[in-house]
Amino acid sequence: MSKKKTTKSNAQTKKRKFRYRKPVNWFFLLLLITVFQVFCAAQILLNSAKEIVPATIFIVFGSYILAEWVYFLVFAGFLRRKSFEVELIAFFLTGIGLALTTSVYPDRAYTQLIAVFLGIGVFIVLLWILGDIDRVIKLRIPVAVLSIGALIFTLIFAKEINGARNWIIIGNNLMSIQTSEIIKIAFVFVGAATLENLQTTKILTKYIIFSVAVIGFLFIMKDFGTALIFFFTFVIIAFLRSGDIKTIFLILAGALMGGIGVLTFKPYVANRFATYRHIWEYADDKGYQQVRLLIYSVSGGLFGLGLGNGKLRYIYAATEDLAFGMVCEEFGMIIAFTVLLTFVALVVYSIRYSVAARSSFYSIAACAASSLLLFQTALHVFGVTDLLPWTGVTLPFISRGGSSMMCCWGLVALIKAVDVKTYKRYDKMVRSDKE
Amino acid sequence: MKTLFHRAWVLYLIALIFLCGVGILSYTFLTNADSWAMKRSNRHIFKSGNLVTAGTITDESGVVLAESSDGKRTYHKSKDIRTATLHIVGDAQGYIASGVQTSYNGVLTGYNLIDGVYGLKKYGKGSDIQLTVNAELCATAYNALGNNKGTVGVYNYKTGEIVCVVSKPSYDIQNKPTENINNDTKGVYDGVYLNRFFSGVYTPGSTFKVITSACAIDNIANIDSQTFKCTGEYSVDGNSVKCMSVHGSINFEQALNQSCNSAFARIAIELGSEKLNATTAQLGFGKRYKVGNVTLARSSFDLTGASDLEIGWAGVGQHKTRVNPCHMMMIIGAIANGGSSPQPYFIKSVTSPTGNRSETKSGVMLEQMINPATADKLADMLRSNVKNSYGDGKFPSLEMCGKTGTAEVSSEEGGAAPHAWFVGFSQKENFPYAIVVVVENGGGGSSVAIPVANKTMQKTAQLFAK
Repeated sequence: MSKKKTTKSNAQTKKRKFRYRKPVNWFFLLLLITVFQVFCAAQILLNSAKEIVPATIFIVFGSYILAEWVYFLVFAGFLRRKSFEVELIAFFLTGIGLALTTSVYPDRAYTQLIAVFLGIGVFIVLLWILGDIDRVIKLRIPVAVLSIGALIFTLIFAKEINGARNWIIIGNNLMSIQTSEIIKIAFVFVGAATLENLQTTKILTKYIIFSVAVIGFLFIMKDFGTALIFFFTFVIIAFLRSGDIKTIFLILAGALMGGIGVLTFKPYVANRFATYRHIWEYADDKGYQQVRLLIYSVSGGLFGLGLGNGKLRYIYAATEDLAFGMVCEEFGMIIAFTVLLTFVALVVYSIRYSVAARSSFYSIAACAASSLLLFQTALHVFGVTDLLPWTGVTLPFISRGGSSMMCCWGLVALIKAVDVKTYKRYDKMVRSDKE
Repeated sequence: MKTLFHRAWVLYLIALIFLCGVGILSYTFLTNADSWAMKRSNRHIFKSGNLVTAGTITDESGVVLAESSDGKRTYHKSKDIRTATLHIVGDAQGYIASGVQTSYNGVLTGYNLIDGVYGLKKYGKGSDIQLTVNAELCATAYNALGNNKGTVGVYNYKTGEIVCVVSKPSYDIQNKPTENINNDTKGVYDGVYLNRFFSGVYTPGSTFKVITSACAIDNIANIDSQTFKCTGEYSVDGNSVKCMSVHGSINFEQALNQSCNSAFARIAIELGSEKLNATTAQLGFGKRYKVGNVTLARSSFDLTGASDLEIGWAGVGQHKTRVNPCHMMMIIGAIANGGSSPQPYFIKSVTSPTGNRSETKSGVMLEQMINPATADKLADMLRSNVKNSYGDGKFPSLEMCGKTGTAEVSSEEGGAAPHAWFVGFSQKENFPYAIVVVVENGGGGSSVAIPVANKTMQKTAQLFAK
């Protein structure tokens, strides 16, 4: 009894401490980010080995920087919103990705720019949808059904790229969509929304069935990295809603046995991890990319060689699977490790604002979305550097790719929605509450 | 939301685990950066596995031994000098691990974790390295070895500067006989990538008697008044340690002068394994010495489970004893220098692309190897060797002290010829240099190794005697 009491009072003190934080000075930070991006543009202009039209750089960076300022002017100036930490991080990371793509593939710069705009679009629309909890509850079932439908569609019509069957190609290579990326948003959304009236076991069971279906489909598509991310997210959501650590251990134990089973009966899965901790022995074979990544990462030093001066860019899938190494070599380790810390900041942000959230939907969605991003970053960074088995997942915001860009910005919307200050009317309510 | 907040610890935990991962990653980067960056597949530094853009390597007098120009690595114009300095300069592919081009590639390319390869990109090279060796002297020593394999090393026993290092067989780096090396069945290129001076170990033969003597002077009070009877062999438990000749009745100094196996086998057995182990340990057997970035091969002295007969053989430098030539040079240097050797080095100075020059500190003393009185006595005995046994005529005007060795490497009659050794130093005040010569399967120490040592030391004196 007494134990319960103390934890309760602790929570109250924490609540007081965290609820009203002074918002960051967005103007100053955005200015810094803009200067950084102008530097990137200048470096691409000066160093690019490939012939690149200067106009492309001006248009890509000009419109991206413009978009950033318009966003802030509208939301901070016109709509008088406060608290912009999450967007600042997202804009910073996206800028790095855009710079890398423009520098390595000048011909794909516009495509990436469009993907970024689509991502920001997804973010704003999703933010609006999340503003109304009733709308969220209504959308829950349709989103779940649509997700499963999309996965089935992918399984039937998808094209196999790099051993994973998860790409939908539209037209003649006009556009390629990775369904699993888009479904990440849906997965968190459905998981968190189900909680709103979770007391019925029926709904819980439905969510578990949904999760198993999604993860199962990904396994069939041989997209193990993404399957792992979904599983991790599922465990997080399951814990946040039940608070039952025993159940979590049960889930983990079950998954572990399942994993061992898969590894035993499907040798090709184990084969993918054959080089784990042995990449130097396969330096010119299966470990080729990873070995190059390590060599070139340390070649960049703390401050980097500058955009366009690296050598990792000539290695296959440099801007996607090896994005972390690209950042290390060309931007330097200080920026590379800062990037890693920003993902931790997103998690901390979600936790802190969860306390004051309007509904548990927002808390769970934000926590699940931010830890999903963190987990994916961990799989990417530690995987490619051979600390963990390499699954080939992308680095959120930075790796080139339209679907993943939209997914990341969608998840940012889920994180952002937890902060009551995001929506003006609630902000007012909370404040008058305080007075 | 309060309950939910309580569950947030799991997210903090995940963030913490992630941060630990970031810590481990930083640590692996920090500890492995140098070796990763120097991998041959790093195209910032290597072109098809060859070191191309790197600093200039010059010899002691400023003669350019290797430099980069127009995207190519070029070496000294004379074939003799290229061949003689191959092992110290090293090759561009990294086969010769102890060569400067490999063991100092981080310096030559200017790589470091802070700037990465930025300096190399900016200046087109890293730092320049000046060696302490003299290229001409190396060529002299190399030619003196004739057709034999082996090694010669010379250093200043006051300062530690290594002025000569050669290892044979070698090849001309400008025209590498790759085919011949790869299809070598006759052993012509045996261990061609090995710098025998730093990385080789040999049976020391009679040169080891210097060490047995050191142990005897320290541990047997009346060693000088003892007389030894040599009948051409020394019998131990029904077996015997053979001697080269019948020396008759001799004292300790004469025993060393004439390199009498019978006397030294007796002394070794009298000393016993414990004392011999203590002395060899003190002298650095079993220790991993470093000379700059190069780790020397370890000398070994092993008497575990040895019978008296085997201790006798060990006392004359046979049995399982193995010595690294550079280490042997350091021991001789310590005898010349009152018991301790300076840290040997072969990098005179490093000059960064911006012109900052840093010199290797000279005359840094290593741990005392021998006590001063013993060292002086040994020096006198070694002087007596040259004066009374080999003859000063073998080393005109050098005041040499030294000891030869003929190390048996085959127990069969008509097997491989023994290794010929000479270790020694000049006592001249203005010429403090010590030398080690090993001629593989060359035969007798005095007939084969002494001429090589003399040619090298004469040239050294010509260059360095003040």
